[in-house]
Amino acid sequence: MGMTVSDQSSGQLTRLLKTISSSFRREEGNVPTVYRMGRLKSSLLQAAMVVLAIIYFIPFYWMILKSFRLSIFAGFPVDLNPFSRTSISNFISNFNYVWGFGNFPIWYLNSIFVSAVVVVSSVFIGALAGYAFARLDFPGRNILFYAVLATLMIPFPVITISEYVFMVKLGWINTYQGLMLPQIASAVNVYLMRQYFLTIPSEIEDAAKIDGLRPGQIFFRISAPLAKPAFAASAIFTFISSWNNFIWPLFEIQTTGMYTLPLALNFFKGANGTQIYWNDMMLATTISLIPTFIIYVIFERFFIQGISLTGTKG
Amino acid sequence: MNLAAATSFKSLLGSSSRRVVSLTAYAFIAPLFIMLFAFVFFPVFFSFYISFYHYDPFYHNIYFIGLTNYLSVLRNPSFIFSILNVLYYTFVVVTIQTFLAFFLALLFNNKLPASRTTRALVFLPAISSPVAFSIIFIWVFSPQGLVNSFILPYINIFGLPANENWLLSTTYAFPAIMAMNIFSTAPYFMVIYIAGLQAIPSQILEAAALDGVKSSWHKFRYIYFPMLRFTTTLVVILGLIGCIQLFDQVFVITDGGPAHATYVPLMFIYNRAFIYDIFGQSAAASFILFAVIMLLTLTQRRFFKEMTWA
Repeated sequence: MGMTVSDQSSGQLTRLLKTISSSFRREEGNVPTVYRMGRLKSSLLQAAMVVLAIIYFIPFYWMILKSFRLSIFAGFPVDLNPFSRTSISNFISNFNYVWGFGNFPIWYLNSIFVSAVVVVSSVFIGALAGYAFARLDFPGRNILFYAVLATLMIPFPVITISEYVFMVKLGWINTYQGLMLPQIASAVNVYLMRQYFLTIPSEIEDAAKIDGLRPGQIFFRISAPLAKPAFAASAIFTFISSWNNFIWPLFEIQTTGMYTLPLALNFFKGANGTQIYWNDMMLATTISLIPTFIIYVIFERFFIQGISLTGTKG
Repeated sequence: MNLAAATSFKSLLGSSSRRVVSLTAYAFIAPLFIMLFAFVFFPVFFSFYISFYHYDPFYHNIYFIGLTNYLSVLRNPSFIFSILNVLYYTFVVVTIQTFLAFFLALLFNNKLPASRTTRALVFLPAISSPVAFSIIFIWVFSPQGLVNSFILPYINIFGLPANENWLLSTTYAFPAIMAMNIFSTAPYFMVIYIAGLQAIPSQILEAAALDGVKSSWHKFRYIYFPMLRFTTTLVVILGLIGCIQLFDQVFVITDGGPAHATYVPLMFIYNRAFIYDIFGQSAAASFILFAVIMLLTLTQRRFFKEMTWA
């Protein structure tokens, strides 16, 4: 991509300088502390980090541990020894019970199917709109963007009550389309995409314009490929929110065969009255969290980047 | 002609190209706005409409009743209680989680060998499903759980009772849910704060150090606090909106009980619609909740200006 800097006007030059200087500032901002940290201070800080990480991991640790044990009771005092009463065969026996309970494989597939469709469509729609708001100049841009952001403030039930009524009228209660469609329009994705497209130097696109590419071509051939991290981040966010969504499926779904995992877990929790069978419950919880954790481990960088993008000004 | 204007793109491309840009832009935002109209804007208007009706979609029993829904909701003691309950919850959770998120960010913003892995672990609750996490926390607060057998026997700062059945206690069930949500959402806001901290130019810290701003308190008071005002507003507003719509955790853990101790507006709205089939009252209650959110957040008008300008 040839940058035509030779005939820059003063306006564009200042813009270029601004882009460069702001990218520098970002680099310098990443330097953690300007003071040299003593060895003692550094080890104290790291000790604090490790302690916090342990505190935060203990609930999940027990969850995993419990799915390798057979006792249905929580146990008192809580046994956190990883070698006490745990075995693979216990895990397999718990797994067989959970997997055979109700429609667990179907619930899993429902969750995967719904999340996949929601992610693909929501990210695509969000990217198109985010690009238009960041880069294309059109009448009504600000007011429309404001309208998109304003949807973030609308409490969930204001929308959901009507959506439920629509689904009743359309006969879409207890259907996949009824489950998926309301989850697709996402202001967060639009905002995230817009923020990212704003960070791409506009000189790249300007050069493409001079080469005669039309705005649509510029998006698909140049800007979208440059925005891969933003696509990744918004795909992950959408996946997490769709995978974890509880309230809309609770309204929309009426038969156990259509359950997604959060509904299934809640159903499973009440399966034995007030007594929760903790070994099976924790195994079910573990396998419902596995896809999230895998995606998180692989894409941790994009998570952090995405939240940072939505959390800072331009 | 002004040279800068001449080379800027609007004029470099002719007026027909400008139309191409506009048309492309509308084509790009069209899918979003179709979905927004169908599943956000129109539902909002429709909810507003049915809030003035006796509305029962199953028996086609629909007639105009004016403000009756609003009045009966506002006269319903359990609704008023749920609003006060959630405001109390929001105040406690937002305050503590904002401070906690800030201090977690100050800690985890240090680039040290341990920071990446530990930060990733701390962030886990923020990505886990609220239902799954709530179920784990039923165990944490159960009589045989983590709190009773691991925390209180060793550390009991607040003089809490030993062997309490936390989630069945009218006194402790709601604070238990507060504690859980502070614990699980603080890491999310920590990441927003880390982004804010990294956006502070290091020159400012250097210059301040030369001016004698060296102690942690002074750095907090004169640098972090004023520089992170935007971030804090964002964290507080997102926290408010999230807290006021508390539902999943309460539904899964206590179902509004014991004896209404954890009853929140979304439980009320859910029950009106799905247990009593009074959708009009449900819609009216939702709009009252909307008004509460607007009142709490629109005081931050400058913030929204900055957000749209960004």
